[in-house]
Amino acid sequence: MASSTAHADDAIQLGRRAVIACLIIATGVMVFSACPVIADEVEFSRDVLPLLQKHCLDCHGPDTAESHLRLDSPVAALRGGDSGEQAIVPGKSDQSYLLTRVLHADAKQRMPPDAEPLSREEIAILKVWIDQTSHWETAKQELKDRRLDHWSFQPLLRPAVPGTATHPIDAFIEQRLAQNQLTLSPSASRSTLIRRLSLVMLGLPPSPDRVAEFVADDSPQAWDRLVEEMLASPHYGERMATPWLDLVRFGETHGFETNRERPHAWRYRDWVVQAFNADQPYDQFVRDQIAGDAWGADAATGFLVAGSYDLVKGQDELLRLTQRQDELADIINATGTAFLGLTLGCARCHNHKFDPVTQTDYYALQAVFAGVNHADRALPMPAETQQQLERLDEQLAQLRQQLMPYLAENRDPATRKRPAVQAKENIERITPTETRIVRITIQKTNQSQPCIDEFQIFAAGKNVALASAGAKATSSGDFVHPLHKLEHINDGRFGNARSWIANDVTGGWVQIEFAQPETIDLILWGRDREGRYADRLAIDYRIECSPDGQTWELLATSADREPFATDQPSTPKYDFAGLSQQEQQRGQQWLERLEQLTATRDQLAQPILVYAGTFSQPDPIHRLYRGEPTAPREVVTPAGIAALTSLTMPADLPERERRVALADWIANKKNPLTARVMANRIWQFHFGTGLVDTPSDFGANGTRPSHPELLDWLASELIDSGWSLKHLHRLILSSQTWQQASHPRPDGVKIDAGTRLLWRFPPRRLEAEAIRDSQLAISGVLDLSVGGPGFSAFEVEAENVRHYHPKTHFESTDFRRMLYMTKVRQERDAVFGLFDCPDNTQVVPKRSRSTTPLQALNLLNSPFTLQVADLFAQRLQREANTQPEQIQWAYELCFGRSASADEVAQATDFITATDLQQFARAMLNANELVFLP
Amino acid sequence: MQNPVTRRQLMIDSAQGLGGMALASLLYQQGWSATKSPMRPVIDPDEPFASRQSHFPAKAQWVLMIFCSGACSQLDTFDYKPELIKRHGQPMPGAEKLVTFQGGQGNLTKSPWEFRPRGECGKMISDLVPHLGELADDLCFIHSLTGKTNTHGPGENFMSTGFTLDGFPSMGTWITWALGTENENLPAYVAIPDPRGTPQSSVNNWGPGFLPAAFQGTDFNATKPLRNLARPNSIDPQTDAKTRSFLQALNQTHLEQYPGDSELAARISSYELAARMQLSVPEVSDLSKESATTVAMYGADDAENPLKAAYARNCLLARRLLEQGVRFVQVFNGAYQTGGEGVSNWDGHKHLHEQYSKHGPVLDQPTAALLRDLKQRGLLEDTLVVWCTEFGRMPTFQAGASGRDHNPKGFTAWLAGAGVKAPFTYGGTDEFGYQAVENVATVYDFHATILHILGLDHERLTFYHNGIDRRLTDVHGHVIHDILT
Repeated sequence: MASSTAHADDAIQLGRRAVIACLIIATGVMVFSACPVIADEVEFSRDVLPLLQKHCLDCHGPDTAESHLRLDSPVAALRGGDSGEQAIVPGKSDQSYLLTRVLHADAKQRMPPDAEPLSREEIAILKVWIDQTSHWETAKQELKDRRLDHWSFQPLLRPAVPGTATHPIDAFIEQRLAQNQLTLSPSASRSTLIRRLSLVMLGLPPSPDRVAEFVADDSPQAWDRLVEEMLASPHYGERMATPWLDLVRFGETHGFETNRERPHAWRYRDWVVQAFNADQPYDQFVRDQIAGDAWGADAATGFLVAGSYDLVKGQDELLRLTQRQDELADIINATGTAFLGLTLGCARCHNHKFDPVTQTDYYALQAVFAGVNHADRALPMPAETQQQLERLDEQLAQLRQQLMPYLAENRDPATRKRPAVQAKENIERITPTETRIVRITIQKTNQSQPCIDEFQIFAAGKNVALASAGAKATSSGDFVHPLHKLEHINDGRFGNARSWIANDVTGGWVQIEFAQPETIDLILWGRDREGRYADRLAIDYRIECSPDGQTWELLATSADREPFATDQPSTPKYDFAGLSQQEQQRGQQWLERLEQLTATRDQLAQPILVYAGTFSQPDPIHRLYRGEPTAPREVVTPAGIAALTSLTMPADLPERERRVALADWIANKKNPLTARVMANRIWQFHFGTGLVDTPSDFGANGTRPSHPELLDWLASELIDSGWSLKHLHRLILSSQTWQQASHPRPDGVKIDAGTRLLWRFPPRRLEAEAIRDSQLAISGVLDLSVGGPGFSAFEVEAENVRHYHPKTHFESTDFRRMLYMTKVRQERDAVFGLFDCPDNTQVVPKRSRSTTPLQALNLLNSPFTLQVADLFAQRLQREANTQPEQIQWAYELCFGRSASADEVAQATDFITATDLQQFARAMLNANELVFLP
Repeated sequence: MQNPVTRRQLMIDSAQGLGGMALASLLYQQGWSATKSPMRPVIDPDEPFASRQSHFPAKAQWVLMIFCSGACSQLDTFDYKPELIKRHGQPMPGAEKLVTFQGGQGNLTKSPWEFRPRGECGKMISDLVPHLGELADDLCFIHSLTGKTNTHGPGENFMSTGFTLDGFPSMGTWITWALGTENENLPAYVAIPDPRGTPQSSVNNWGPGFLPAAFQGTDFNATKPLRNLARPNSIDPQTDAKTRSFLQALNQTHLEQYPGDSELAARISSYELAARMQLSVPEVSDLSKESATTVAMYGADDAENPLKAAYARNCLLARRLLEQGVRFVQVFNGAYQTGGEGVSNWDGHKHLHEQYSKHGPVLDQPTAALLRDLKQRGLLEDTLVVWCTEFGRMPTFQAGASGRDHNPKGFTAWLAGAGVKAPFTYGGTDEFGYQAVENVATVYDFHATILHILGLDHERLTFYHNGIDRRLTDVHGHVIHDILT
């Protein structure tokens, strides 16, 4: 210690000479780059390291890197610590956090803590060191290289297949088995294989007929044919969708305290199923989900907003900002984990502790997604529908023209009334009048205090009521609420959220005073131009104008309108009285036709909604110190992860183009992560565990692949096949590794109990969905219709805060595949939720697999099981005549094999002692049914 | 203790009922790391609920949590503020800057209930909870808790899971995951919802989050039995027994194909355990064996206040569960499922006096009796009792209303039993009871302290999820050593 301190002191002496000379030249201007000659003399090891050693390295050295900040080398200093503040900004000492902290005026914040501050000379050395840019280039490059050292960031190269095995996958697997003195197991039986295949690929048991056919088919192509049959099944996409929807935290309620429904979310689920069924290239599958709105794959962006969403917005600004930050974090996290296998969410508050993801990267990604809002979006209208609508509109216009003479108001001017007020918009035509103030006085509403979202007054086509045009609004009194303010009355924005409400239920007035007198001819006003609200509507009102606020002249009133009626939209009235019978008949026909076509049109024009988010151009995004919305730092422009890509975007790039650019980087064959991550998921789909068993964390905190070359080979196959997932399935399914038996072997259990080396096919309990679907299929009641809105496992108590009570009786509509069971966050299905079926509040890359007594109780005693057991027993009775035949049939349906004589005898005894329902109940609970063989 | 051998005996019984098998396989499959950190529980898949060692010697073995849903006002119960009484009706200094949930604030308002000294310690407690007041000498108050949100759902999440967001494991799940249980014939973790329904965040309060689902709370109460526990009425007991033994025979035959497969064996065991649970759960839920004196002490026979009687039965059930070795029992007082704001919970915005006059008696006598009962049976020696709520309320009444708005800036919780000093008061709020100013404590600190009393280091009890070693206390929390024995 003593000697190194002495050495440091010497070095400082050297350094000080250099800087003092510089100080003299710069004479207080403190711009050290202005003295390049002297600055060149500052050298890290000679001038800087000693002073860092003296003041900093005890806490920020290689031994104790507080906040993960090390200052013992330029590279380490450049990397910075956890906080995300840049310790060193090369060339910009004034922006470098290191200097901010050593110069801090507050002694509690100043570094080093509880010690003398750095001397002026020492600070000057640090400044010169940071500001001389030349040497930082090397450090930058070195930092980048070091960060990318991790295996999964290496470029993907197709590895050579080892050995001589006939199947590449077997070659890789056998190589590692051999290293551990293990071998593959023999092939599974044909009945096991077809059962395994059907459960893995479709999540359904094979029909006994298909089993028999396959077992009897000794053609060499039998297996391949069966595989193709599975891949062509529409149920393949459903099976693939199950883990995918877990992964992207897809839910059909919002979660949080109200947990309201998302009735249009299912279209995203359908999109996923169809994409898998069509074997959509995986790169396009990724692109669509991030930016599909750019090319008409609209439902796909349901991915972005599949997560929870808090409908209850805090009144407090900070809470609201935090809620928004949480929403964006959810999108960034889902994108990172699902596609890249990177846990980007970690970098929200500080630089990622394990991976080369900085806090700046996080906010750069936030800038990519910051325009995404949780909401339903109307799908673009298909061109065909558009054309149909145009044709209808022509017909409707013609009919209206024909009916014009019979309009009640045209027939008898005495009874002519204007249409009743409407919540959306009301028109007041005015004889051109020059005036300065216009006031609407509301005497009565249909309900509660009056609300107007916008009061527009036109003079020669120009809205002169706008605040931006200099007009001023005043009122009789305002209801106090953040959504409802007086200034909203003339802010040019529509809808409930930008409206004014009077403070008195008995009525009130609001007036607009123009900047100068205007000649007005039209007034438009509405309660909610967006059409969502119809309460608080002024139904008795008068509109007056005044040049001075003293004398008033009536402009318009509700008195000449039809009376307001809640349930009757105001439509034109036709009057055929007093006409010839022929004319009456013809008029009636036209009218009926008009009504018919209007209904058709309304139906057709109905927007198709999908919970796929809406998009708006975001404000600039700031890095937030420690993730705190109250601590914004520098503006961050949209970009990819800097260590992995050079993708950067201009600050003003349109929102959609940001997502397109990010999607293109992710779904690129040069991206080292994307293909590896998905190939691993497919492996996990087949074997229960991926080659990397942290499937959504390919970073340094995740685990390394058990078979790195195999993973890279599969990823290369994925890319080279045009990103075909079905191609990967074919490869895996044709391997001996997949087709081997699953029975335990003493040598395997001893060496590799976890079966990671795959000396057998790993048997495992089926997932919740496959158990439920199997039970229904076996009972002959499974409704296999694909797609569309789902069914609910609950009776929903529709209070503000929704409550979900498990159903106790089930209709045939409940017997669809569990994939279509409305995914209610927080509330899991009463029976199958216990089988580790997640509620998708968080992303789930891999389900846990637990075994508990509550599972047993529910599978034995729940109303669902009992009802299904009854249905199964009825099927057995219906489809088999004798008891032994019924037993045989049950074995074939449940286990995909015939019963032995012993088994038949045992079952016969049991049924004799009990009944067929009990036999059905026991079979539905059997291990052989709920385990993948 | 009425039946001191019960727990021990049951432990032995359950240990004998299950043999040890090859486990490593399942450890891998279930993502439970046996090797990554010595501070994570090693879970035997055949006996996932087996009792496990704590990190260091524990002061308490069991936890009883009483959760008042709706945000129970500290100012009308346990946080006595003479200044608030003195300045009743005056504006609160700085009131215009308050962050509130429902809007404008009126004047400072004293509690409608008198405070008076209780117990030998003389702790000032209000007349709203006189029975609890009598126990003042047994209670350890924390008056300086602070939360992160003033909204119920996130607030309940925060108190129960350490995160305001959904999807994180509840405290009870963390604890049962870490420690298992002492009686595998009963669920390791029982949540007892209020007779009126579930709290605002409903199942989040006892959910597993990303921890294995096996460790979630099982919810039932004295009125609503455990779902699908009982043999269906349509099946007679003999038939049911035959069916289960036929099923086990089927499974044994199948197991012969997979000798030594632990996951299959575990599932066979789970049916045996289920059968035992069918006996033990109704037994523990059967309150008819309780003496008339006990029933009366809880107020479970209060014919005039059926709601109180129903909650009292839940309290009795809680004691019986703890007695039988259930690791974590969570009793809820207040519900959102029936009735909204303040109607069946502590959310007294508009009519505090009227609403709390109903809720106080429901909570008071039964909860106090539960504590007394635990004490007289010696159970308090190794049980930690936690009374909490999602946040506190304002010292002012809301403008134009007779109730208090939400306030997470300073609220009260109390602990009792194993590991905590009593009588004791820790921390304090300002003169009006608005904001914690003395020994300010966070909910993280509160959680860290509870884990500590159970012998668990909150920084080392972690579960790897999506790239992060998650903790109950996120990246925060300090054990409040001052309150520990």
